[in-house]
Amino acid sequence: MKSNYLFPYSFRKIGWVLLIPSLLFGIVYMIMDYDIGFIDGTAFAIWGEENFFDTVFFKFIENDLTDELIGIALLVGSVFVALSKEPVEDEFIQRLRLESLVWALYWNYGILLLAIIFIYGSPFFTVMTINLFSLLLIFVLRFRVRLRAEQKAMGNEE
Amino acid sequence: MKNNIRIERARIKMTQAELAAQIGVSRQSINAIEGEKYVPSTVLALKMAALFKMPVENLFELEPTD
Repeated sequence: MKSNYLFPYSFRKIGWVLLIPSLLFGIVYMIMDYDIGFIDGTAFAIWGEENFFDTVFFKFIENDLTDELIGIALLVGSVFVALSKEPVEDEFIQRLRLESLVWALYWNYGILLLAIIFIYGSPFFTVMTINLFSLLLIFVLRFRVRLRAEQKAMGNEE
Repeated sequence: MKNNIRIERARIKMTQAELAAQIGVSRQSINAIEGEKYVPSTVLALKMAALFKMPVENLFELEPTD
């Protein structure tokens, strides 16, 4: 059935393999105040900062690459998990997908709205960091729950 | 919208899984359609009517609220 912009089903497994470790490590990394980085390296910055607050453009800079690696794995992993086809990706599954996405949009931005009103100073930086990834994660949770509910509803049929 | 899919399926002794495989959808979809939680597309409705060898109107029926 026509193009639906989804990855093949097999990508979902790759997605989980990237998502779970990077999510766990990301949470620990955040709790430890980004202090356990261990991959010093050089990165090309289109827009960056050197020696505390000197803005630079198009320049190679020294940087701890731990957060970059976590971010890439988490992003690619959640995109693969969220956007891989189900074994049979039919119109009903696609409706569940759409409903779950709308649900996730409301919750994600509802929570962000509350955070804007009630969270101030540097804790808001934490909120923004979480919000980079939360939409996809909320969607994945909701979609899985809906699929499981449909699976259950089916259980007592022959 | 009401439908008689469960009845017609039972009449020819076909399981949800068999019907799903025949028209290329998931079993969840057949279950949701039979439970009248989901109204299938025209394509799917016509495929089911063809499978049960009957006009689509015999399989699906509008309700006053539709």
